[in-house]
Amino acid sequence: MKNNTLGRAFLLLVIAGAVGYGIGLGIDFAIRGELKLTASVPSAFALLFGFTAFFFGLYGYRGITRGLVFQVAGTVIGAVLVTGIRALMGLESVGAFLFTEPAWVFGALVGVISFFFGVGVMTDWVKWARGIDTPDHHEDEPGWQKYFGVSLDHKVIGIQYTVTALFLLAVGGTFALIFRTELAASGLDFLTLNLDVFNQNGPQLYNTLMSLHGMIMIVSILLGISGIMNYVVPLLVGAHDMAFPRMNAFAFWVAVPASVLLLLALILGGFDTGWTGYPPLSSRAPLGVQMFFLGVFTAGWSSILGALNVIATVVRMRAKGMTAMRMPILVWASVATSIIALTATQLIGLSFQLVMFQRLFGMGFFDPGKGGNPVLFQHLFWFYSHPAVYVFVLPGLGVISELLPVFVRKPLFGYRWVAMSSLGIALVGFVVWAHHMFTSGMNEYLRVPFMYSTMLVAVPTGVKFFSWVATIWGGKIETPTPMLFVLGSIVVFLLGGVTGPPNAMVALDLHLHDTYWVVGHFHDTIFGGFVFPFFAAIYYWFPKATGRKMNEFWGKVHFWLMTPSFFALTLGMMFIGLRGMRRRIVDYDPALGFDGAHLFLTVCAFLIAISILIFFINFFRSIKHGEPATGNAWNSRSPEWQVPSPMPAHNYEVPFEVVGEPYDYGLPGSKFVEFAAKTAGKH
Amino acid sequence: MSNKQHHPNLLSQGVFIFVYLAVLTALEFFVAVTFNSVVILVAVAVIKAALVLWYYMHVNKLSAGDESNHESYAYKSGTNRLGLWLFLVSDSFVFGGLMVMRLSLLGMTRPDLSQTLGFFVTAVLLISSFFMNRGEVELHNGNRKGFLQNTMITFVLGLFFLLGVILVEWHTVPAIAEPILHLFGEPEGKTLLKASSGPAGAAFFMMTGMHAFHVLTGLILLLIVWINGKKGLYDEKQYPVEAAAVYWHFIDVVWIFFYPALYLIGTAV
Repeated sequence: MKNNTLGRAFLLLVIAGAVGYGIGLGIDFAIRGELKLTASVPSAFALLFGFTAFFFGLYGYRGITRGLVFQVAGTVIGAVLVTGIRALMGLESVGAFLFTEPAWVFGALVGVISFFFGVGVMTDWVKWARGIDTPDHHEDEPGWQKYFGVSLDHKVIGIQYTVTALFLLAVGGTFALIFRTELAASGLDFLTLNLDVFNQNGPQLYNTLMSLHGMIMIVSILLGISGIMNYVVPLLVGAHDMAFPRMNAFAFWVAVPASVLLLLALILGGFDTGWTGYPPLSSRAPLGVQMFFLGVFTAGWSSILGALNVIATVVRMRAKGMTAMRMPILVWASVATSIIALTATQLIGLSFQLVMFQRLFGMGFFDPGKGGNPVLFQHLFWFYSHPAVYVFVLPGLGVISELLPVFVRKPLFGYRWVAMSSLGIALVGFVVWAHHMFTSGMNEYLRVPFMYSTMLVAVPTGVKFFSWVATIWGGKIETPTPMLFVLGSIVVFLLGGVTGPPNAMVALDLHLHDTYWVVGHFHDTIFGGFVFPFFAAIYYWFPKATGRKMNEFWGKVHFWLMTPSFFALTLGMMFIGLRGMRRRIVDYDPALGFDGAHLFLTVCAFLIAISILIFFINFFRSIKHGEPATGNAWNSRSPEWQVPSPMPAHNYEVPFEVVGEPYDYGLPGSKFVEFAAKTAGKH
Repeated sequence: MSNKQHHPNLLSQGVFIFVYLAVLTALEFFVAVTFNSVVILVAVAVIKAALVLWYYMHVNKLSAGDESNHESYAYKSGTNRLGLWLFLVSDSFVFGGLMVMRLSLLGMTRPDLSQTLGFFVTAVLLISSFFMNRGEVELHNGNRKGFLQNTMITFVLGLFFLLGVILVEWHTVPAIAEPILHLFGEPEGKTLLKASSGPAGAAFFMMTGMHAFHVLTGLILLLIVWINGKKGLYDEKQYPVEAAAVYWHFIDVVWIFFYPALYLIGTAV
């Protein structure tokens, strides 16, 4: 990318942002009669105008730019429509944020759908509806431009997913750094009561940042695993693309308007419920919670449709000879993940939809005053949100199993057991949800079966750990950066995993619930099951995607800075959690003596952030300046490494047939795949 | 290549299955108004769903198929078929969640609705599924005209169902709703169920609303398939028709469970 393009884009961002801000300020002043610089409407305009202009400067009026323009237009049109109808019906038609809540919700929905038409992801389907046939493949333009528009190539989409995931990681992480800075010392330091930003005072802003940190990270994880699965699964099974390339593109592009809505939640008044959005609090929360609900609802489509695609691809598009028990282990993990994502995700959509309708139409699902039941929300919500954490970690655990044999030059121990363990975790993961509800006031007898089922899920997880240990045992271990992250994953996830059973014990959980012990536990499992494997996967498959390796030295710096900092962070959280530090609070009593610990945690958080910054610089620099690696960079038996890097456009020009076991490293003369003989004249 | 041989047994099979479904629905209604056994009602619903899944939705087609040529239309249709069924499995979780909500909030009570209207719209939907099946079979037999006619009848009946629920049962347009309800024997001045009137209203409107949304999208699909079918696009490549039909029957299956859940099971409050 030329420097002046990027510079021009940033310049447009600033100018358009300022113009938008000014317009918003004017509108806000006209409606409310007072000039407030930190009000929501000016900032909302600034955000929308600025981002759209940035992409315009970078890419022109097409793809993502056009999508964003359509989203803004659609939002305004939808909101104005509802405002007009309400005015005609004699109902209140102006709200604290210019439009009323129903107008914002309907407008946001129209905006999301408009985005799809704007970005161009609906074009082929509209043609099919009109009876016009479209070519199977679309040629992508060369260079970096193709990543900002609709591509049907799963490799492009995989990279789009991965980069978006990294972007959201940075946003969610920044939110955490903000409130971690506040938490570093007791007393309200800068998130004070007299702060007034986006219609929120300091503590309210903390609630919003804390809630969005959770959800933005969750969306980042879902996009990250989609990135891995979309890029790698077709390559592993020998397909030329995913089963449904257009739906693949759609499932990615859904993430952009969804992210816009989540950011809008911050600006349109925020919300205080945490990422779990429980009513009755979410029933009374500010407008931001509706943007949150709608944003999550939208993002859910990505998960569901992506999972559908993975399952269909694995069932229908495997290479000749690839029986179920000869699939690379990451494919098993992807299938197990997708079974959960396909089905359970609907329940978080439903539970949020019910709260949205409760707010909009007074439908008393969870309102005890109307005969509703707030605990019902928790059942519906956690029926997805617990299996969701297995969606987060199963791909990562699959990455570990996939990469270990390459770096220890030994077969994966107990392949069948490991394959079945992914399915086992997925299955058992469906029957443990109420362990999040031991203190909710649900029937006490329910605590017992859920305690036992929660303990049970450790069994298939244990199978994986034993497999990893046995795989490494007696192997010829090499530790380039991907392997460092794999080993790091195992150790980090082990710590996270063993802190699970204490939570499973009802007697302990009654005291641990809502403390930092739980925060320590889930950051540990998430880092071990997703973050570390995600980095491992990126360092590992980077050469496949670009034909270059990421810088090895800075990769090691990333690892050795992040890992001890993370251990300190997570153990520190558990430390204060056990001593009574509550979750989701902006301030704490200095008499508790946690100031030192909190300062320590904040320092660790910043160190992790620095390590990730180093990673970002490495990632983007290596695309053009990394050490060339066009062959089998890791000496892997896997099919995608038997063809040159970067991967050809349609993957395997010559199809392969599976003739052996995937992980028979060290077995003389054994091959996993064999490519068909090249036809004459194909030189 | 379309199969130009006539298969009279598929058409008469459609008739037989419809008769079975109609008899079961009548039984359902009878059981509900006499001794209201939840067990029997659930069993009847399950049998109806199984009949629709097997005979109308051809769930067995999932395992059939030509495995040899991955580039053939038959193979690609098989992949699309799997994709559609995966989508329906996912969608079932929404309706399953709604059922959980209804059972949790209402238990053995139900909203006080017009039984006659309920039976009427159910019959309309069931009959529409019969004509959809007929249309699909006609296309399979090479009769484009028959396919178009039957599909249009399905569309009209589906539209009737939608209007019956949205206009009448929801009472959105009192000028239309009131005379019809009066015709169906509902007493004058009966308190109307509103979305905000407690859990019964909430459950009723959300369940029928989500179902109606799917009926609406189904109608749009039927319209697209009818218009393109008229141009002859599906004479050879028939999968889109199968897909529209399977989606339409899925909507029927959902109603097979929602109808007893909202109209038949439990005591009216």
